[in-house]
Amino acid sequence: MSTSGELDVAYGILDHQIVDSENRRCGKVDDVELEGKVGEEMRVAALLVGVSAWRGRVPRPLAGLIARYFARQVVRVPWEVVKEVDSAVHLGQTAAELDLGRGDDRWQKRIARIPGSGF
Amino acid sequence: MKRIFGLALGILAAIGGFVDIGDIVFNTAAGATFGYGLLWVVVLGVGGIITYSEMCGRVAAVSKRPVFDAVRERMGLSTGLVALIAAQLVNLMTLAAEVGGIALVLQLLSGLPYRALIMLAVIALTVVIWVLPFSWIERVFGYCGLCLLVFAVGALKLHPDWGEVAKGFVPHVNTTSPLVYGYFAVGLLGAAMTPYEVYFYSSGAIEEGWSPKDLGLNKANAMIGYGLGGFLSFALMITAGALFLPLGINPELLGTVALGAEVPLGQIGLILALVGTLFAVGGAAIDTCFSGAYNLAQFLGWEWGKYRTNAGAPRFTITWLVLLALGFCIVMTGIDPVMLTEYAVIFSAVALPFTYIPILLTANDRTYMGRYVNGRVANTLGLFYMLVILFIAVTAIPLMVITHMGQG
Amino acid sequence: MRLSDLLDRKVVTESGRSLGRAFDLRARWTGKTLEVTGLNVGRQGFLERLGIGSSQGEARKHHKQWNRDTIPWDAVLRLQDGRIVVRDGTEAR
Repeated sequence: MSTSGELDVAYGILDHQIVDSENRRCGKVDDVELEGKVGEEMRVAALLVGVSAWRGRVPRPLAGLIARYFARQVVRVPWEVVKEVDSAVHLGQTAAELDLGRGDDRWQKRIARIPGSGF
Repeated sequence: MKRIFGLALGILAAIGGFVDIGDIVFNTAAGATFGYGLLWVVVLGVGGIITYSEMCGRVAAVSKRPVFDAVRERMGLSTGLVALIAAQLVNLMTLAAEVGGIALVLQLLSGLPYRALIMLAVIALTVVIWVLPFSWIERVFGYCGLCLLVFAVGALKLHPDWGEVAKGFVPHVNTTSPLVYGYFAVGLLGAAMTPYEVYFYSSGAIEEGWSPKDLGLNKANAMIGYGLGGFLSFALMITAGALFLPLGINPELLGTVALGAEVPLGQIGLILALVGTLFAVGGAAIDTCFSGAYNLAQFLGWEWGKYRTNAGAPRFTITWLVLLALGFCIVMTGIDPVMLTEYAVIFSAVALPFTYIPILLTANDRTYMGRYVNGRVANTLGLFYMLVILFIAVTAIPLMVITHMGQG
Repeated sequence: MRLSDLLDRKVVTESGRSLGRAFDLRARWTGKTLEVTGLNVGRQGFLERLGIGSSQGEARKHHKQWNRDTIPWDAVLRLQDGRIVVRDGTEAR
């Protein structure tokens, strides 16, 4: 499993951990964007990251809650950025360049002010 | 040599870390009610936790997946979410019970007001987790928890009828009150196989960067560590059976449990028992707290881990802080920690399949595990325990209701 | 289109025979792109009957116990009334 051979998209990519080029964990593959149509050629276009991407995947009442409370944009990671797929999906760029892991960034600033936070 | 030394240290920590408030409450209550008649159930439970810890340690070492990565990948988003919520609720209940337990022991040691001690306990836990590195936390709490071995000495000095003890290791069912017996059996199994132990174990394996080279270490850790941990459970149950059953004492208070060491060994026995309980329960509080943060971070793909600095895994850090605060609020309501413990153990029995099914599936997946997939032994045991787990998951709540939590 | 738009849809042949549900897309690396080459279809599995799978079908994406088949992508024709229609005869293999 790297960048050759065959791969089942749901089994091998969906819901997997995403790791950036600096080995930072920066989200899960919450959905996968496909390019093309049923009946034509189709390929994987991008990873979709963010709780809002769950909307089409969970029971309707929960989807409604997500729509209300997680209106934030889904981050789209173009497939070209993917470097390798093993137990995780490894990216060739940093989370910051791709706008991933913003939640950790925000909290990091606050925690860093507390003594002993290791920062 | 260094490796063997490391293993020995790890095992010592595991022994002290195995026993938590759930084990203390259920082993003592079971001993006080049925004497040695449930010892075989402890053996069964310890076998279960060894089987599944070994499996999830191997999954972590080979496929680099901690439990909640596997849960989400293998159960899918929706079912995974249900598993996550169930795990977090049970974890929080357990955490609150452990915090309450710490405060109770502190109260026995100091005589100060209970609520003030809850506050002290939570502050102390926060500072310890914030400041100390992981390996230190593990060792300090593990080694001090070994004071619980005083119960083994106490059990010997109480001169139990060893013939009866031996009979207790033979599987059987009590026919005079089978339902209460069943309730305690389910509780003992739930307490021995508490899911947080598995979350913690597998995440720890990832944090320590285990690879297939460490599979021997994994096996030894799981078997010896939990096996000897089970030994402490025996000691608690035998002590209760030899001391409380003949007197008709129902150890509803944590202090009564410590009496089991005071009667045969005097003041020093009491103090060792209390210190051991304090650290065993304190260590478990930290484990549950982390487990909750591991689970959430793994499910959502956040950075996680105690090996990173507090600011290096920010949302993970926030999560354990929030969990600790929630646990604090729960015990501050004045709810009885021993009762809370029973609820936590029984509900965790219900939630067990959500944790153990994905582990079993992943451990059998050749694309993830290569040649380290489950062999025949692991699968036979795994399936056997899956049946046990499904059985206790279904029967736990009915038994709790019918027997009024073991009161008959 | 998203992967989740396809997963769990019923799959039928042109003449209306049901083949089960779509639970995955088979893909092949060609250089850096991941080309879809097939549709993994299966019937309700053992685990679902135990109540372990979700109705959304995501849980079933890869349980090997059950009857499953990969239909070549060029035999997958269209989306119609919420179902995926595949060419007649593909189920024979």
